Amino acid sequence: MSNHDNTPLSSAHHEEEDTPAVSSSKAGFLPIETNWFDRLFISVVIWVALSLLWFRFIEPMGLSIWISNAIALALAVLIISKG
Amino acid sequence: MQSNRLGWILLAPTLAILFFFGVLPFIYVVYVSFHQWNPFAADPHMIFNGADNFRKIVFDAEFLNSVGVTVLFVLFAVISELVVGYILAQAFMKEFPGKAIFRTIHTLPLIMAPIIVGSVWKLMMTPSIGIIPHYLNEWFGITVNIGTSPVAAFTTIIIMDIWHWTPLVTLTLIAALVSLPPDPFEQAQIDGANKRQIFFHITVPMIAPAVVATVFIRLMDALRTVDEVWMLTGGGPGSATRFVGVHIFKEVFPKTNYGYGSTISVIVLYLTIVACWLLYVTMLAPRNKKD
Repeated sequence: MSNHDNTPLSSAHHEEEDTPAVSSSKAGFLPIETNWFDRLFISVVIWVALSLLWFRFIEPMGLSIWISNAIALALAVLIISKG
Repeated sequence: MQSNRLGWILLAPTLAILFFFGVLPFIYVVYVSFHQWNPFAADPHMIFNGADNFRKIVFDAEFLNSVGVTVLFVLFAVISELVVGYILAQAFMKEFPGKAIFRTIHTLPLIMAPIIVGSVWKLMMTPSIGIIPHYLNEWFGITVNIGTSPVAAFTTIIIMDIWHWTPLVTLTLIAALVSLPPDPFEQAQIDGANKRQIFFHITVPMIAPAVVATVFIRLMDALRTVDEVWMLTGGGPGSATRFVGVHIFKEVFPKTNYGYGSTISVIVLYLTIVACWLLYVTMLAPRNKKD
């Protein structure tokens, strides 16, 4: 029995059990597991995409880019806090 | 504490190099992208113009066309390289006469500089002296001229890229396949699984991280392809092979439009990061457990 416990596989199993879960990860409304940096990254990606789309389609109609920035900021707060 | 400090001291040169040659130039390019700057114009100073370059870029038909052409090129090239690379990797897993020689020859394109690859292919594709148009015409009656046919130029670049970079994919996939444990395959065979089931339910999931890493490398490389294309077609005929890298080159060097060129670079970097991130999310990212 002691021999069995000393095999690399069994020690690997114990190591896995002892590994603490990543504390910063949490389950939010996003479909993937994220930490705060992931959510910040997603927010920046959305901000850039929204700004470019705004420049292309909305700004020519007379709406300022600052509205897009405000929307992006609100989305960022939502994603970082609840994503 | 002592080992922690030693670790930072040992890491410091690498971090410094990364900062000065990676982070700092990136910050500078982002800074320049918000300016109008032509250092060879009558007024060589940088003029801050807010987001005007970004306003311009979304209406720039040449840039949007170059993005479309690049995406098409990346899709065709990377998928073909993955498929051919996997087939070759599987072939190299088996023993056959002359395997070592074939593997060496197969890896040779990898050690060639892209500019050399471009010039060699240009020689091979030039209608009057090139071996490929000559034999295509003699054997099949097909006339190929990459100087006048957009389809021929685009196809040639894809084939050239596959020829150049498939060995990299093969080597990575060989490494992944060699490291697979035999037990799951034996168990699946005992359970009566056929080759297709073994491939889709055992091989693919087990080599997925290696495949994703390979696709990352190839995706990033393919999105910034310049030298081969510049050498072979110069972005032509018309704008058929004007990939984003070539577009940036033309904007920055002949036109010396550094501000707008930086804006295009930042947007291309953004698109590259988003493409890689989407690939990671689709293939590898752990799913959220709702319950």
